[in-house]
Amino acid sequence: MQRTLAYGLLMIRAAGTTLEVSVLALLLAVIVGLVVGMIGTSGWKPAELLTRLYVELVRSVPLLVLVFFAYYAVPLATSLTVSPYMAATGALAVYGGAYMAEVVRSGIRSVGRGQWEAARALGLGYAGIMRLVVLPQAIRVMVPAGIGVFINLIKDSSVTSIIGFVELTQTAINIRNTVFSLDPIFFAGLLYFFICFGLSRAGRSIELRVRGREGG
Amino acid sequence: MSPLVNFHLFWTWRWAIAAGAETTLLLGATALVISLAFGVLGWLLKSSRRRALATAGSAYVELFRNTPTLVFLYLCYFGLPEISVRLDAFWYAALALGVQGGAYVAEIIRGAFSAVSPGQRLAARALGLSAWQSLRLVELPQTFAVAFPSLGNQVVATVLGTALASVITVPELTYRLQVIGDSTYQYFSVFAAAALVYIVLVQLLNQLFQELDRRRFRMWRGRL
Repeated sequence: MQRTLAYGLLMIRAAGTTLEVSVLALLLAVIVGLVVGMIGTSGWKPAELLTRLYVELVRSVPLLVLVFFAYYAVPLATSLTVSPYMAATGALAVYGGAYMAEVVRSGIRSVGRGQWEAARALGLGYAGIMRLVVLPQAIRVMVPAGIGVFINLIKDSSVTSIIGFVELTQTAINIRNTVFSLDPIFFAGLLYFFICFGLSRAGRSIELRVRGREGG
Repeated sequence: MSPLVNFHLFWTWRWAIAAGAETTLLLGATALVISLAFGVLGWLLKSSRRRALATAGSAYVELFRNTPTLVFLYLCYFGLPEISVRLDAFWYAALALGVQGGAYVAEIIRGAFSAVSPGQRLAARALGLSAWQSLRLVELPQTFAVAFPSLGNQVVATVLGTALASVITVPELTYRLQVIGDSTYQYFSVFAAAALVYIVLVQLLNQLFQELDRRRFRMWRGRL
């Protein structure tokens, strides 16, 4: 009984680790996504092509291969020492960044041409147009889609367990290997479900509120 | 010190890479068939008028869309033998990926079906078609046309998802290249090669679906 409780607490703490890495990767992905997404809508063809290449390539490779690459290949190429934590965060950031770039791109595209022209007529430069006119409107599209990316990052972070990063999934497997029961894996699934389902509910209510404001 | 990208290695291991790609595609195709079956089932359950069936359908879809594939894969791999279902690792992976993917397919079909205008059914009935004929000849073909691009994305997601099967020792592409990496320590070359093969496979699939969509399905969507 006491052991069950101890293991349960261990797993809840591991869910914290999963969340920590996912949030960190999300922040990095948002930065990558904003930069890549803005370059992708800049109108300068070569740069746009480069951003498309990044997005297409990352979305054509399994996350597991990216994680392996970050953990095993990057140290060979750069003589950096890469911990499982760094490899996990880095791979998830590069992966999430590609999806975030698409979110930002479609957010910016959702703002009509007329807004750009009106802002330019008022004498705003690119930075001013982005900061004051386009992004505040694009964010209505970007936030619900961004929550979707966040949910996927949380679920996909389970893949980083394979390089020995001890997050929720790996903790469940470690406990299973000592108690020889499936319960830890079920419990891990349950924790993921609570986090992701809760987030998707929250995302939906934000989406509805934003839509309501547009109508009013 | 060996070079970072060892092209010689690719040539030496070409047959292992080809065999891995073959297993990847075979596993992807098997998982896809399972996920289509579960997707249709999930959709039918979820749109059932019986409260209990609809709840079961929703539970299936929400449960699998909000949990990682890897956790379910482990559950199948460690759990099924305990209830005396002993299969080859390939089939555990196909089952796990298929059942998980089915939840997404169910949502794709549901979304596409509700995108077909109710006017289509009314028009079909007005022309004297029975409810079943209207479904079979008018609504479902349009549902498929609407769903086609999303289903194409789901095919790609399934193929990429098969990489997880390497964790339970299915000898697909990632597994085989990882093994080569472990014995040669040429991890950079090996994972670059893996990425390259996946990119080629995914781009070929994307081209195929775009071409099919352009030729057969896009015209149906314009007329809804």
